[in-house]
Amino acid sequence: MASSRPEWDGLSDQQVVLLARSGKETAYRELIRRYERPVFALLFRMVRDRELAEDLAQETFVKALNAIESYRPEFKFSSWIFKIGNNAAIDHLRRRELDTLSLDGSPHAETPEAMQATALQIGARQESPLDTVEAKELGGAIEAAIGSLRPEYRSCILLRHVEGRPYEEIAEILNLPLGTVKTYIHRARNELRQALAHLKE
Amino acid sequence: MTRPPGTHLSPEEIDSWLSGTLAQDWQQHLDQCQACLERARTEREIVDGIAALPLISPAAGFSDRVMAAVAIPDPFAIRSLQATQRRLFATRKSMALAASLTLLLLGSMAGSIAWSLTHQETLANIGTWLQSQGGQVAWLSLRGLASNLIEQPWYGGIRSLLDNPMQLALGSALASSVYLGGLLILRRLLALPTQQVAHAGM
Repeated sequence: MASSRPEWDGLSDQQVVLLARSGKETAYRELIRRYERPVFALLFRMVRDRELAEDLAQETFVKALNAIESYRPEFKFSSWIFKIGNNAAIDHLRRRELDTLSLDGSPHAETPEAMQATALQIGARQESPLDTVEAKELGGAIEAAIGSLRPEYRSCILLRHVEGRPYEEIAEILNLPLGTVKTYIHRARNELRQALAHLKE
Repeated sequence: MTRPPGTHLSPEEIDSWLSGTLAQDWQQHLDQCQACLERARTEREIVDGIAALPLISPAAGFSDRVMAAVAIPDPFAIRSLQATQRRLFATRKSMALAASLTLLLLGSMAGSIAWSLTHQETLANIGTWLQSQGGQVAWLSLRGLASNLIEQPWYGGIRSLLDNPMQLALGSALASSVYLGGLLILRRLLALPTQQVAHAGM
C-alpha cells in the first residue's frame, strides 16, 4: 500500500468514503481496517462461531463497499456498517432458529404476567462441559451469559457496552424506537445479573 | 428529576449513575439505601465486565478476501463524469445553457410526438407525395444517364459490335477468359498454407 497511516488518521469516515467513491482502493482498505474488528467482534458474539462470524463479516463488508454510492454521509458510517452486520446476524439466527429463549420472557410482553408466562428459569439451559469450563472465568461467564440472551437483547447490550454506542445510535442501527432500546438493555442487564448471580455467591 | 419519597432507583436512574449523571437527591438516596447501592454496584460490575471482554479480530488476510469481491469504480470514468458535471454547473450561465438545451430537447421531442398523433392524415399525404417525387427523380436520373451514355465516343464501337454476332461471341469469350484467369491468380494468392508451423516452446 502506497499511503502512510498518519495521512488516513486525520480523515473522518465520511472523507474516506468520498475517496473510496472516487475509485481509490486504499480508501476501501482503510474503511475495512477501521471496522473489521468491531464488526467481527459483534458478529462473533452474536453467532458464537468464529468461522461463521468471519463469513458474515465478509458478507457485511462486501455488501457495504459495493453499495458505497448509496451511503448517505449525514449518517454515521459506523451506524451504517453495524446495521448491515447486525441484519446479517439476525437473519442468520432466524434461519437457524437458535435456542435464544429470554430469561425475562418475550421482549414484546406488555404486562408482568405476560413476561412471567413467557419467562425461562435460570438453569433450564443445558450446559455442556465446555460451557462449564468457559464459565469458570468471569469473562467466559459473561460471554456465555450474553450468548444465552435473545438476539435483539444481545445486539443492544453489545452495541451499548462493548462498542460504547449511545442509545440514539443503537436505535438507528437496529431500527427500533429509543424507548424499546432502553427497555431491551435494561432487560438484558437484568438477565445477565441473574445469570451471573452464582459467581457472587 | 426529583425523587418521589419512598421510591428506589429505576433502571434509568441506574443508567444515570453508571454514566455519572445521577441527580443529587437520588445520589443521597443511594448513599442511604443498601438495596439500591448493591443493585447499582452489581450493574457496574456487569457493565465493566462486558466492556473488558477481549478484543477479537478476524483471521489474517480478511481485507484481501473482502477486496477480492468488491467492484471498485473506474477512476477515469468518475473523473470524466465529475469534470462534465463541474463544467455544466460551473457558472450560472453554463447551468442555464444546459437547462435550456435539455428543455429544448425534451420540448421538441414531446412536440413532435404530439404533432404526429394529431396530424396523422397530413403525415400520410406527405408520405404519398414523397413517394411520387422519389419515383420521378429516379426516372429522370435513369433517362439522363442513358442519354449521357449514348453521347460517349466509344458507344458507336460497342453498338457496331452488337450488330455482328460473330464479333460479339469472340469479344465475350475473350472477356470471360480474362475474368477466369484473374480469379485463378487471386485464389492462388489467397490460399492458406497447408503445412504445420512449429511453435517455439511447445
